[in-house]
Amino acid sequence: MKLWMAHTKAELLALLRTPGFLIPTMLFPSMFFLMFAAPNLPSTAAANFATGSFMTFAVFTVTFFQFGVGTANERENPWSSFVRTLPASPLYRNAAKVTTAAVLALLAALVLVLASAASTPLDLPLARWPRIFLALAAGGVMMGMLGTALAYLVTPKAALPLANLIYLPLAFIGGMWMPPELLPKIVQEISPYLPSRQWMELVWPAVGDGSWDVGHWLAVAGFTVAFAALAGWAQRRDEAVR
Amino acid sequence: MIAAVENVHKRLGKVQALRGVSLDVREGELLALLGPNGAGKTTLVSLLVGLRAPDRGKVRLAGGDPRQPATRRVLGLTPQATGFPPALRVREVVELVRAHYSHPQPTDALLDRFGLGELAARNVQALSGGQARRLAVALAFAGNPRLAVLDEPTTGLDVESRRALWREIERFKQEGGTVLLTTHYLEEAEALADRVAVMNRGRVVSEGSPEAIKRRVGLKRVRFRAAERPELAGVERYEREGDLHTFWTADADALVRRIAEQGVAFADLEVLPISLEEAFLAVLDGEVQA
Repeated sequence: MKLWMAHTKAELLALLRTPGFLIPTMLFPSMFFLMFAAPNLPSTAAANFATGSFMTFAVFTVTFFQFGVGTANERENPWSSFVRTLPASPLYRNAAKVTTAAVLALLAALVLVLASAASTPLDLPLARWPRIFLALAAGGVMMGMLGTALAYLVTPKAALPLANLIYLPLAFIGGMWMPPELLPKIVQEISPYLPSRQWMELVWPAVGDGSWDVGHWLAVAGFTVAFAALAGWAQRRDEAVR
Repeated sequence: MIAAVENVHKRLGKVQALRGVSLDVREGELLALLGPNGAGKTTLVSLLVGLRAPDRGKVRLAGGDPRQPATRRVLGLTPQATGFPPALRVREVVELVRAHYSHPQPTDALLDRFGLGELAARNVQALSGGQARRLAVALAFAGNPRLAVLDEPTTGLDVESRRALWREIERFKQEGGTVLLTTHYLEEAEALADRVAVMNRGRVVSEGSPEAIKRRVGLKRVRFRAAERPELAGVERYEREGDLHTFWTADADALVRRIAEQGVAFADLEVLPISLEEAFLAVLDGEVQA
């Protein structure tokens, strides 16, 4: 507990003192929402739907980059191998990273909800929030695993450009920026095969008070397991060489 | 015995970094690990501190496996000074490390001992090279370890800071601590070490007290002033600086006798031991020829 707190404190302090990373990550999804989505949301149903999409986008941004680029940077920094020599299981440090990402993701989602509430006829009753939270968390874990896998698969320098290359199409094709029926025809056909779209299929029923289709939960779980296995394999491969 | 490796082999990628290394670290001693870059010192240290597992052979730390976190409670290590976590302050880094130990050093006392008291609130990225080095060494002692592993502790330090660090290392030893030191500075090993292990190409090629290693090489220096270089037999190596002549020889007594017999007009005659650095180079030369 003490160690988990100590590592979480260190991670959060480091983040708070690098506003150049923190503020854009927090504000980018909301800015995007205000510019492109908010002006075209006349009804509460449409506002709820779009807010769900952009909240997911905000959580995606935080978890994917926090674990992707963050882990890649750590691979370059000898401090992380020093920490591995301290008498503590790596679980504490990993738990601290998950906590930090969760705090950031919640903040980013909160900023988005505030932005939406101020500019659209958003109306999400409290009763819907447990399901929204659950859906967001499940996808956040999945994308954190994808980020970690990426960080270990490529060289630290390639991680950031490659992360952007994956992140933007995943968000767009997955339907985080506009409803899938407005996407180009070809994109509509690819969309259901992406983890980002499967994630949206969990969030949309949660904001719209619809029922969940078990198939989408299985798909998200399947992607999570696959990304975790890939991350584990890539991490062991990396350790064997260094 | 606080740490030991036994017939350890380790391959890193395509490089066979360790080829059958056996070495003990005894409680209360300062063991210096010497060797050129690529000799395998860092790989050996990484096994002892639990960062890697050996391909073959055994690694023990305080009777346990250093890969187990609980075993590493006896251990304190210097991080590389270039790699502190970004955006943390000196005090915060020390406290993060202290949180891992049950009886750590008080933060302020530790900072003062290493001349960091006034830098406690400084961001680690803003430290000078020497200050960062001192912080790195301080972190090795933060948890009151039984074994401190100091990897190149004084690289890049000025003479005064180096002496100050040596004093802290001596003090730790006097309180009963054990030190494993890797260094490029032979002067440092000579000043601090009870025992020296010389590594080359993945093996320990020589091991003993600094004096024993020097004796093993078996040379002494005979030095005096004279106008001309006298012709002398039994000389391994010769150097001249102005009128100061230095002869390296296996038998200093015989050489001095010869100088007297030949009636050389000398002044300021001295017989000197060779430095550890020269002994070390000779040990490595022998290894290359073997």
